[in-house]
Parts: sequence; C-alpha cells; structure tokens
Amino acid sequence: MTGEAIVVDNVSRVFGGLKAVDGASLKLARGETVAIVGPNGAGKSTLIQLISGVDRADSGTIHVDGVRTDHLPPDRIARLGVGRSFQTSRVFPALTVWDSVLVGVQAGLIETRSGRLIDPVTESAGALLGLPFWRRRVAAQEAAAEAALKLFGDRLWPRRDQPALGLSYANRRRLEIARLLAAEPRYLLLDEPSAGMNPTETEELTHLILDLRRTHPDMGILVIEHKLSMVRRIADRVVVLNQGRVLIEDKPDHALDHPEVVEAYLGRARSGANFQDAHHG
Amino acid sequence: MELFLSQILNGLAIGQVYALIALGFSLVFGVANIINFAQGALFMLGAFIAYSAIAWFGLPLVPAAAVSVVIVAILGLLLERIALRPLIGAPYVAPFLSTLAISTIIDQSAEIVWSPESQPFPASISSTTFFIGNAYITVTDLVIFGFGAAATVALTLFVSFTWTGRALRATAQDASAAAQLGIRTDVMRQIAFGLAGALGALSGILVALYFQSVFPQMGIPFGLKGFAAALLGGLASIPGAVVGGLLLGIGETLASAYVGDSYRDAIAFTLLLLMLLVRPNGLLGGGRLDALGGAGAAAGAMPTTSLLASSSSQQSALRAYYLPPWGFLAVGAAFALVPLVVSSTYVLQALIYGFIFALLSASTSLVSGSVGILSIGQAAFFGVGAYAVGVFARPYGLPADATLAIAIGLTALVAVVAAIPLLKLTGHTAALGTLAIGQIGFLVFLNWVSVTRGPMGILNIPHPVLELLGGLRFATTEQKYWLVLGFAAVALVIAERYVSSPIGRVWRAIREDRLAALAAGLPVRRYILLAFAVSGALAGLAGGLFAYVQQVVSPESFTVETSILVLTMAVLGGLGNLTGAALAGFALAILPEFLRGFAEWRMIVYGLLLLVALRVRPQGLLGAR
Repeated sequence: MTGEAIVVDNVSRVFGGLKAVDGASLKLARGETVAIVGPNGAGKSTLIQLISGVDRADSGTIHVDGVRTDHLPPDRIARLGVGRSFQTSRVFPALTVWDSVLVGVQAGLIETRSGRLIDPVTESAGALLGLPFWRRRVAAQEAAAEAALKLFGDRLWPRRDQPALGLSYANRRRLEIARLLAAEPRYLLLDEPSAGMNPTETEELTHLILDLRRTHPDMGILVIEHKLSMVRRIADRVVVLNQGRVLIEDKPDHALDHPEVVEAYLGRARSGANFQDAHHG
Repeated sequence: MELFLSQILNGLAIGQVYALIALGFSLVFGVANIINFAQGALFMLGAFIAYSAIAWFGLPLVPAAAVSVVIVAILGLLLERIALRPLIGAPYVAPFLSTLAISTIIDQSAEIVWSPESQPFPASISSTTFFIGNAYITVTDLVIFGFGAAATVALTLFVSFTWTGRALRATAQDASAAAQLGIRTDVMRQIAFGLAGALGALSGILVALYFQSVFPQMGIPFGLKGFAAALLGGLASIPGAVVGGLLLGIGETLASAYVGDSYRDAIAFTLLLLMLLVRPNGLLGGGRLDALGGAGAAAGAMPTTSLLASSSSQQSALRAYYLPPWGFLAVGAAFALVPLVVSSTYVLQALIYGFIFALLSASTSLVSGSVGILSIGQAAFFGVGAYAVGVFARPYGLPADATLAIAIGLTALVAVVAAIPLLKLTGHTAALGTLAIGQIGFLVFLNWVSVTRGPMGILNIPHPVLELLGGLRFATTEQKYWLVLGFAAVALVIAERYVSSPIGRVWRAIREDRLAALAAGLPVRRYILLAFAVSGALAGLAGGLFAYVQQVVSPESFTVETSILVLTMAVLGGLGNLTGAALAGFALAILPEFLRGFAEWRMIVYGLLLLVALRVRPQGLLGAR
C-alpha cells in the first residue's frame, strides 16, 4: 500500500450490535475530490471518524501515503497532513477567530522538517525568549493563517478579533475550514460543510471548493454532502454508502442517477431519476 | 488467614458505608449531571446532628439518627435551591464551584459550632464479637452492613418500581425529553438532592458508629472516598456504586492491616488515581446503564471547564484586563519601595504572604483557567516546594539558590507525574482527581516521618543566602520582603509570557475543545503536562519562599483548605487571568492580617464571596481569559 493517497481497505466498525461501517473500502488520491453520499446512518461520518483516528476501526486497514494509520492517535494522523472538519462544527468558542486559526497552524510550528516534534523545553525557550529562529517560524505560520482567513473574503478577516462563539452558524463552518486550510493539509476531509447554509452560502462554498481545487492541485478532498447539486459540480468521483457498505463508486452523474442509489436515498424509485438536493434531517 | 478474613468482613461493613456515599454522588450526577462536591459536607453534618441530638438533647440513637436524616435531606433540597438552581444556564463549571463554596461554608461553620477537635460519638452498638472459625466480626460491623444494605435495597426498589423512581431515571436519561413528557425535572433534581442528603446523613451516622468519633474535617476525605467508590463502579450506576464501595472498603481495610493504618486514606486515594488512569469509566461503566445516568454519564462525558462556554452560550462579557509580562516587573518595582516608607514588620510580613499567595494563586489559575483542569490540590505542590527547602537547607547546608532550584524542579516533576492520571479526564472528574492528589500530598507530609518529621514539621530553617549574588544573606524582614518580591515578580513575568505565547493559546484551545485540538494535530497530553510543570514550578517556588519566611514547615499549611483557598482566589480574579489571580491572591492573603478576629470566619466569608461571584460575575474580577 504505497503511493500518495488515503487508502481505506475493508474497514468495519460496530457499535453494540449495529454495523455502522461494514467492510468499506475507498481511495482518495492527492489532487482528486471525492464525495461520499448516502442516507442517514449509512456510516459516512463514522468513516471520517475512522480515517482521522477519532474512532477506531474494529477491522480493516487504513493507510495515509503508505503509512498505516488505523491505530495511530488523531493528532499523529493530523500531522501526516489529514485535516478534518466535524459534522457539528467545532470551533474553540472563547478563542478569537485569529487565535483559532493560529491553533490550526501550531502543529506546523512545533514540527521539524523530518516530522519530529520540537521538545517542550526548546519550544518554551523559543516562545518565551523570542529567539530569531522561533520568530521566523511564527511569522511564517501567521502568514499562512492570514492567507487562510482571507480566502473567505470579508466573511472572517474583519471579524478576526471576535470570539468564535459570537459567529453565525455559516461563519463557524468557514472558520473551521479556514483553520484546516491554514495548516496546508495534503488531504481535506469535510463532514457536511454546507449543513445549515442557505443557497447563497452554499454557492459560495461550492466556489471555494472549486477554487481550492485550482489553487491546491495536490490536495485530496473528501466531502460528505447531502446537497447533490453541489456534489455534481465539485466531485471527480462519488462514493455511495448504504448501511455501512459501498453501494456504488463512479462519476457523479453515473453514481447519483443509478436506480439503486435513488432507491437507497428516497426509499423508492422515482421517474426521471434526476433528483437534486436530498435533505435528510 | 484469620486476620485476612476478619479484615474482609470488616471491609465489607465500611465498604457498605462508602457505597451509600457513592449512591449520593451517583443520584445527583445522574439527574443533574454535576458532581456534588458538598456531598461530604452533608455526610459530616449527618454525623454531627446525630451527635448533638444525643449529646445535647439526650435522644436515643435511633430517633437521633432519624432527626438527622430528615434535617440533612432538607438541607440537600436547600443546597439545590440556593447553590444550583440560580446557576442553570451559567457556565458549566459554575455549579461545581458553587457546591465547593457551600462545602467550605458548611465545614467551617461546623468547626465554629462544634469546635475543630475530634469528639467521641456518644452512642455505640454492643461490642459483642462473633467468631466464624477464627475470623471475627463485631455486632457493630453487622449492624452497619445491615443498615447500609437495607438502604441500598430500598433505594434500588424505589428507583426501579415507583412512579417517582421511573421519573428520576427518565430525567437522568434525557432531561429535556422527560420534560416534554410532563415530568417536572426541577422537582426530580430536588428529589435527587434530598435523597443524596438523606443517604449522606445515614452514612455519616454509620461512620460515626464505626470509628466512634466525629470531627468537622471528616467530610472531605469521606466524600472523596465515596466519589472514588462511585467512580470505581462507573459513576452513574447503582450496582456499580455498591460494588465500588465494597471493593474500596475491603482494599482499604486490608491495606491498613498490612501496610499500616496511617496510610489507610493515602491508599484509598491512590486507588482512585490508578482507577482514573486505567479505567476512567469504572468497572461496571461503559456498556451497562443499569440504573441512572444515560449514555453521556456512562461515558463520563463532561462539559468543558471554560468559564465562557455555557448552555446559554452567548456570554457577552469577554473583556479581560491583564498586565503585559513586563507589567509585573513594574508593579514589583513599585512595591520594592514600600519598605523605604513603611517600617512596620507586621505590615511587611503581611505583604510577603500577599506575594507568596499571588504566586500560588497564579499557579492555580494557570492549570485551572488556561488548561481548564480545576485544581483542588495545589497545596500539595506548594508543600513539596516548602519541604524541599526544609529538607535541603539546614541538613545539607545548601544556599537558597540551590534549594529554590530544587524546590522548583522537584515540584515541577511531582506535578507532571501527578497529572498523568488526569490526562484522560475533563470537567468535574479531573477536579476530583486533583483533590485526591492534594490529599495524598498532605498524608505524605504527615506520615513520611523520616523525611518530613510528620506533624512536628521541620524547624529552624536558616535565613536564605544567595550564593550567586556573592553570598548575599536575607535575614531581616525587609530583606526577605525584597527577596520574595523579586522572585515572585520574575516568576509572574515568565508565567505571563507562557500564557500570552502560542503555548498559552494551545492551552486555551485544549480547554475549549480537546478533540478539535487533537484533530488540529496538537500533542494535547504533552501540552497539559507542560502546563502542570509550569504550574508546579510556580507553586514550588511559592512553597520554597514560604519555608524561608516561616522558618518552619509543617503539614497543616498544606491542607485541602489551602487548596480551596487558592482556587477561590483564582476564580475571583478571573480564571486563566494571571493578573487577576495575582491580585486576588494578594488581596485575600493580606486581608485577614488587617482584620482582627477575621481568621476564624475567613473561609466562610470567601465561600460566600465565591457563591455570590458565581452568580453575578462568573468571569471574575478582571475577566477570565
């Protein structure tokens, strides 16, 4: 299992008697955008939990760029370049927008080129004494944070000194994505990024992802998304999950219009089979 | 073997009592999702009210016990009404601190009403002893076990089969769903607190019968053991509490028989820490949700300790006022002029204690506020620093630079090791872990006689000499004033640099959302341990300076009362705000020196202050950070 990709192989996760993920396999190569769709309870979010190490698989393997990650702690996996958002966006409520994004780049600040962490004593000395080598690192990280915030136009940058808890729902999602992007991840895993966004905001997000594909041609993007119109526009491939299994994996139009998919989503076949946004709960 | 069996039988009796205390925790935790720190205080009151009913009013044991149980149950209701109901929608950490304040007020009032001394309990059950083979068991043990078991069975039947019991369980599983179905969840909360009070009182009386004595400080150690038992069993399960209590009772009795009675409590608390380290969900926790608590409780899920995040989140008062790092030097420089104008050694002495407590309060604020692990054990770190100076200054003839360096380094190390069991915990559970650390520290100071000289303490600590400054000697009060002031100012500058640096930002991020911090690739445990190291270093320095100022180190300076005092200071100043912590620490430490007759009432007044502050200004004087 080598090569630059996240490779999920035959992974299962059981909660009590319920098989949330049941022998699912999938591959996310760098530079491609893959969307995971499926009805509620299909195991989409669980899959992201497993890839990011927040939850552990009961069986199967996960590799990130050839490194086996299915028993690594989440912070290690994140430092391999896997950035993930959460279904209910997790911002640091009392931290300002600016501080939140800086937390996102902190791991880069204390990591050396060889992937080792700088020891706490050196880190303390650098931070307390303001040594030149440290200041250079901090300046680089702050530049990355600023660039990430400015990706969202005037949505976040003018609010950088406000605490995150005062942000609107959509802005919290944006902040979470900005925090991830500031760390310049190799892979971006987004768990329902457009949830709670109105059509205008969803359109904005779609453009942002399309822009990201252009500006970060090496980044692999995995999106869980219910808004299928958006999926059609951003994804190279669509993976349809149902009851923890991969039902179909194909180009968006093929996958989404497949009769089995329509049935899994809506519970019955629909004439025309060209449904747009499926809103489930 | 006979001794072993006897100890087991004996352990079952006391374990049944722990189970009762544990049930009080479990009920309240299940229904209100908070850990009632005052459970120990209710327990102590139960014992003392029964004591008074017998000793002052001449009631026989059984009616006295009944009176006590009723009164304490009512007090449990009042506790919910006064300390918790007003805080619905307040920051998650507020209710816990509120019960801490109530507990302090009750404990200190008890010392005033009944005197701080231990009193013989004026009733006993026949001391007949039965032999089973060669193992023995006393009637007292049997009665205690019988009463405890009967109460447990009654409670189990109550929550399992009565309508009220079902409503209680429903509230525990999902309060909002229960409310939707027409259950008065506020009444359920009151019932839980009332029952917890009754269980507390009953267990207090049984303990008084078991040990044949009552003392006002018994609440915290027994409360902590009850909590340990509850946690051992999984915190939210009735059978779990019973199993946990019995195991703890047996373990502790065996340990005291084979290791020594003075280590009885230390062993119980060490068990608690080991438990937190290995199986924070308890033996029966996790899969089984037998009685109370719901899924969140079983997972030990705890709300954030942020003083800003709450269920009604949009707190607007986020403004925090704090000095930049160099500000502490400026303030220090201003204070350095005081001895030039003030000649009273009494005043200077008071100010010295003010500086030491400013430092200690800042060290508490750093872990409790910035990292969000409420520390109720800071006195242990303070004590390690003080004993380091006591042990190394005279016997080894080391200068103050060396002893203080040892105090700082050793305390940082102790703090890091002590923090390891806390790494998996959040919220109230972590706070009780720190309380256990504080208790263990105190017991070690008291019982490790070969090093600490036990209750006697270490006397005749020499005047500090700084070898690095050419053997400069600090003998007079003015000289010591400058020494303490200088060290405190520099240490606060460093601490503030930490808190304002990216490291401090990570600490706050961990407090706000640990999972998100992990997902951002941050080595969370390392940062928590670093925080404990820094906090320990500050507390160790404060302790070392304290030893030089006092010239005596003895265990009573490092009790849980000191820990609660400095935590109160940190909260009042604004958690995570070192300027606020230092200011509050300084002010509250010098206040009693200038108010005559205040000492006795000090902790009660501070408890009330904390209670009021949590209602009107939870973010503290200068604002939480």
